[in-house]
Amino acid sequence: MDGTALLFLILGLGLVAWITGRTRASIFVRDGAHLRRGHVNSLPVYHGWYLALWAVLPALAFMVLWDIISPALVSNRVLLSPAAASLSADSFSRGAILSEARAIAQGFQQSAFQPQAQALVPAYREALAFYRWIGFAITLALFFVAALYAYSRLKPNLLARTKVERLVMLILILASSIAIITTIGIFASLIFETVRFFQFVSPVEFLFGTRWSPSETIGEGYNNGYGAIPLFWGTIFVGAIIAMIVAIPLGLMSAVFLTQYASPRLRRWMKPILEILAGVPTVVYGYFAALTVAPMIRDFAVWIGFQNAASDNALAAGIVMGIMIIPLVSSMADDSIAAVPGAMRDGSLAMGATKSETIKKVLLPAALPGVVGGILLAVSRAIGETMIVVMAAGYTANLTANPFDSISTITVQIKALLTGDINFNGPQVLAAFALGLTLFLVTFLLNIMALRVVKKYREAYD
Amino acid sequence: MTDPNVQPARAPTDWSNPARQRLIKQRYAAERRFRLAGFFAVALSVLALAVLLVTMVGNGLNGFRQTELSVTFDLPTLTSGASADSLRGASADAAIRSMDLQGIVGLAVEQEYGSDSRDYLTANAPFLLRDMLQDDPDMIARKAKIWLPVASPIDIAYKGRGTAEAEKIAATLKANEKLRSSFNWNFLSASDATDPADVGIWGALKGSLLTLIITLAIAFPVGVFAAIYLEEYAPKNKLTDLIEVSINNLAAVPSIIFGLLGLVVFLTWFQMPRSSSLVGGLTLALMTMPVIVIAGRNAIKAVPPSIREAALGIGASPIQVVFHHVLPLALPGILTGTIIGMARALGETAPLLMIGMVAFISSPPGGFTDAATALPVQIYLWSDEVNRGFVEKTSAAIIILLIFLLGMNALAIYLRNKFETRW
Repeated sequence: MDGTALLFLILGLGLVAWITGRTRASIFVRDGAHLRRGHVNSLPVYHGWYLALWAVLPALAFMVLWDIISPALVSNRVLLSPAAASLSADSFSRGAILSEARAIAQGFQQSAFQPQAQALVPAYREALAFYRWIGFAITLALFFVAALYAYSRLKPNLLARTKVERLVMLILILASSIAIITTIGIFASLIFETVRFFQFVSPVEFLFGTRWSPSETIGEGYNNGYGAIPLFWGTIFVGAIIAMIVAIPLGLMSAVFLTQYASPRLRRWMKPILEILAGVPTVVYGYFAALTVAPMIRDFAVWIGFQNAASDNALAAGIVMGIMIIPLVSSMADDSIAAVPGAMRDGSLAMGATKSETIKKVLLPAALPGVVGGILLAVSRAIGETMIVVMAAGYTANLTANPFDSISTITVQIKALLTGDINFNGPQVLAAFALGLTLFLVTFLLNIMALRVVKKYREAYD
Repeated sequence: MTDPNVQPARAPTDWSNPARQRLIKQRYAAERRFRLAGFFAVALSVLALAVLLVTMVGNGLNGFRQTELSVTFDLPTLTSGASADSLRGASADAAIRSMDLQGIVGLAVEQEYGSDSRDYLTANAPFLLRDMLQDDPDMIARKAKIWLPVASPIDIAYKGRGTAEAEKIAATLKANEKLRSSFNWNFLSASDATDPADVGIWGALKGSLLTLIITLAIAFPVGVFAAIYLEEYAPKNKLTDLIEVSINNLAAVPSIIFGLLGLVVFLTWFQMPRSSSLVGGLTLALMTMPVIVIAGRNAIKAVPPSIREAALGIGASPIQVVFHHVLPLALPGILTGTIIGMARALGETAPLLMIGMVAFISSPPGGFTDAATALPVQIYLWSDEVNRGFVEKTSAAIIILLIFLLGMNALAIYLRNKFETRW
């Protein structure tokens, strides 16, 4: 009897409870009509829900709880068994043996690397089965006790609907708070690991050092190869400079052309095509950049005289990233231009200004806050972009302004540090979290700023 | 004629003056230039998309074709006279397993094409022969001519991109009509492999599917409930503001950060199985939820207040108003937003790299907790391979991914057009 089967059993019994509750309430209704036993407060279906929820929820809560506490109980029981008597007292190696034995007992692993683990497998199987049956029995008992209690409370004057709706409201509030929990979770997980990182490497070196080549060993002083300045520069160079040089003019002019000049027919066709550009996965852009754009740009660089141009150059990644951002800039600009009151435009045209003069002197200045907000969001998106730079930009962090040189970014290094053979307690892995925290804080500020600007601007014209 | 009391403010502009005419011409020229610049911006964006698609399709279509070599098997001699009856019934599996099929295939190729030809065929060829023998045991008693897939070097040489050496072999074989090209069913039904001629995307596609099921199962209810609460019930206070800021910010947090969250919370703290589609789905659910909330709120906002007032007026409770009336009317909009969010999740790679879905996985995952990979991750893995045969496979996998994404987006647009109500 595994967890899934138990879950379905509980849900099936819950359905029975629902039908029971509803039937019971229908009887109340019938009796109420015939025998004048009093008015039934809620529709029968709410009595069904009342009973079913009372029966199922405690059992489910217990199942979750049991899932969390039972591993500790199981390993305690295994440690008390005679097979575990010979285990060393060192908690680290003991933990490794226990987790291996557990993996074999649960069928995740075929055979043991450590002979001691193999010896523990039968004890583990026995303990797992023992606590599984206990959990199973308590879950079912809880279900029936709760169901009986709720059944005893089913009366014609029970406020079943109010109670069920109160619970629904609670669920709605819980669902909305998941957003906050996620934000806090991101903060907590990143800060926790970053603090551990700063026990190895000082924040001063991390934030102001200019050499990035992370190594496993950490010496004294401020030059261990954990200086993130080259990465910050690389991220800004690719995401906020090259990509924006491509995306801002193209995105802005596309929005202007589509809203002000294009015929409705053309607009109907062009807007979805731009949206496709936004829907192409970043891994596809990355492959495009690495396969097609990067060699082209390197050949071009060699042709104009940069002999040592890298094939993983910053320019290719930046340009492709810019293309990816075009729809974002364009749609934000589109929205803000559309929000400018028509009277301003009409006034300008009535004074004899041409269309382009109206756009340049009236519409764009009026729409500027919205456009700036869109650009901030675009920058935030570009510096957090991973796949394009992983596939097209390099892994060596150079502090250079030469767009034909190889350059590395924060996201590339996070990916490089966390995939591959990782030692979860070494400074290399922890450095990835410090970089992640930096990235999160910067994008967070950019997003908040952008949302503020856009909101203020909307209010100004509403 | 002029009235001495009314002085004209200034003389009317003389538009026939050549200087004026020149100015007007300049302004019109500027207008045309600006318009042209706008047109070029749109054209350039469309061109970029076109080049991208053409490159992928041009590279990728070959990935759907597999070159096959004609090999004549003198099976009675090669198997030293095994009978067809031994391949039937209960002991059939054991009988086939006891045959050295790899040796048989190698020998047959060598007999026909000389001693250098052992690596003409893919590593998969013996298994294909096994399947054929299982389907048709009588084959073992006769000489049979079988088309088997060739290894990657000859495969891409036949398609015109191979090395000089492989091109020569392919040209000779082609001249003798020993090679043919057929649709690569293996690409749709197999998983990752070391030889690019043997790879398939089914394993990755199934991994993506399992991941998306988890994502949908979590992100959809949570997202819709949150949207309902924020739009219909939330009081105006600090907490509500905090929730709104969190959601709007989460929608713009870099996806790799969600990967880090998944790595720490799901893998390290909760000890969930690494590389599994369960963890991948949970991580992507956190990423997709804000998208669904924002789309859901817009859809709910679009339902006119008169519907709510009418329902309240005939005695429905606030919960009944929403679940019986508002939600069904807002559902098409919510579904559209959900599909777009799921399409984004399907194309997402970076967070899945963080939680270890990058391993080489040669069989499709059996369940949610098995080690799995996803389609975009598979594309990334293949793009990293040095073997030239992987170029066409990567592009072919991209074509499949794009077809899925376009299909989902088309469905979203269809739903929006079909069910959208203008009040």
